[in-house]
Amino acid sequence: MTTTAALSRSGARSRNRYLTGLLTWRGLTGLALVGVVALAGLLAPLLSGTDPNAQGPLALAGPGAEHPFGTDDLGRDLFARVLHGIGTDLSIILLAVPAGALLGCACALLAASSRWADLAVQRVFDLLLSFPGLILGLAVTAVLGPGRWTVALVIAIAEVPYFGRQLRAGILVQREREYAVAARVGGATRSRVLLRHVLPNAVDPLIVQTAVALSVGVFIEGALSFLGLGVRPPEPTLGSILSQSVAYLATDPAFAAGPLAATTALVLGFTLVAEALNRGIRR
Amino acid sequence: MRTFLLKRLPSGLLILLLASFLVFLILRLIPGDPATTLAGPDATPATVDAIRTQLGLDQPLFSQYVHWLGHLLTGDLGPSYAIGGQVSDLIGNGLAATVQLTLGALLLVVLLALPLAVLGATTRHRAVAATVQAVTTAVLAVPPFVTGVLLVLLFAVTLGLLPAGGHESLLDAPDLAVQYLLMPALCLALPSAAVLARYLKNGIDRALGEDYVRTATALGVSRRRILWQHALPNALPPAVTVLGLQIGQLIAGAVLVERIFAWPGLGQLIEQGVLRRDYPVVQDLLLLVVAGYVAVQLLTDLAYAWLDPRVRWE
Repeated sequence: MTTTAALSRSGARSRNRYLTGLLTWRGLTGLALVGVVALAGLLAPLLSGTDPNAQGPLALAGPGAEHPFGTDDLGRDLFARVLHGIGTDLSIILLAVPAGALLGCACALLAASSRWADLAVQRVFDLLLSFPGLILGLAVTAVLGPGRWTVALVIAIAEVPYFGRQLRAGILVQREREYAVAARVGGATRSRVLLRHVLPNAVDPLIVQTAVALSVGVFIEGALSFLGLGVRPPEPTLGSILSQSVAYLATDPAFAAGPLAATTALVLGFTLVAEALNRGIRR
Repeated sequence: MRTFLLKRLPSGLLILLLASFLVFLILRLIPGDPATTLAGPDATPATVDAIRTQLGLDQPLFSQYVHWLGHLLTGDLGPSYAIGGQVSDLIGNGLAATVQLTLGALLLVVLLALPLAVLGATTRHRAVAATVQAVTTAVLAVPPFVTGVLLVLLFAVTLGLLPAGGHESLLDAPDLAVQYLLMPALCLALPSAAVLARYLKNGIDRALGEDYVRTATALGVSRRRILWQHALPNALPPAVTVLGLQIGQLIAGAVLVERIFAWPGLGQLIEQGVLRRDYPVVQDLLLLVVAGYVAVQLLTDLAYAWLDPRVRWE
């Protein structure tokens, strides 16, 4: 009786560790930043009636009643472009990060199946990681040509080794724990032990990794668009608007304000959430 | 030391070989024929064939690969497709500028991270420690294209202290060259400095909790001496590994920073190569970056072994 009570209490605590992590100033600030930006992106059509790609006669206007953020060099409403840009960014990232995470996890499970598979998967991860940062993304873009799907693929590929390595390390640790040994001794098959016992206990670090990956996603989209290798114009993204504004920094600094604020809030928000979750798990 | 090197060198070379294969293969996946593109829309089939033979594109894939590797080793990289000129000249021109930028950034990384880490680890004021933590988190999170724009707005547009972009040769006009270098190097250095500061601070924290520090304190050794002679040397080796990984990030980050500050380096070249589908340029540069990264990691391992004698005896 007491054992069950103790067990269920510790179970409840472990479920709420994420919650306790998120309910700190760090977690709440992060959630608020991401929430506000994401909401603005989701509600873009309601918040701004203007077509983000409609060109007007008024180019490079400052912020005013009609254009809250001003207009860009082609006379397009920047408020609408930034809001729709957030939407584009999020739609790419929310597709690419889970895809990359699943692929990475699949690789880790494959690695857990045999020693040879492990060796091969490890070398693949090493190889992917030997192209630092954006460089692999540039190679992929060189082959496929710029575009929305290329950006998504670049983000997904960038995440594969990180998720894969984390899960592989987790599986290696958990596999030697008593409960896993007990399950094996009890006659459970290898795959059952792996999928039913080991895997659920090894995914903890992946939750944190997901938050990190989301911020990396914003980073990669922004970087590729900034270089002119991202989503094709005229579709707005945060990176492309920022890239456009650089030429006018000296004369129209307000041009850069919207994309700067949105990108910073989004990246900082995801980072704070990741740190909060990480602290929650370690507690 | 030699056995240590003999153990690390093969794995580095293996990665390099695999990477060269990958780079070669993915650029062959591209739809369309470079010879047709190069010849232009009005070319006769004979011209296209001539170009194909000249570039060696009619050879089997494996012999093309071996051919390419051979040329890489001799430094003869052949002509570029779209940008114009010899690939080796293009790379040679950009290399100096990028090395300047990366070394400048590396210097700033160490100069910024070391005091910040020592301050964060030794301060007795909670507010100071919290500020250091907050600053490193913020700097770490914000991408270089955002910091770059903010730096230009602050130093070039508002204060008018530094030029917004451009490049000057270090030999012709050293004072101007430093002015041009300062902002791009800072922009490139900031995220890596934040990462290094964090690792170093944690390392110093951990070292300060060790028994030998307690013993030294009990023997009356001053706080300053404990920090510089006992805690810091023990915190350094892991930080060197982190610094090595960050050099890779600096090389990759240079692509963005060079774009923001109009810095005529390899980053701009690779970007041009990708945009204009100049495959020889992209292919050679990709491998150069990987080779540089692998070499830096090897050097990092050596530095670690040099700083921490325990590693050598394993």
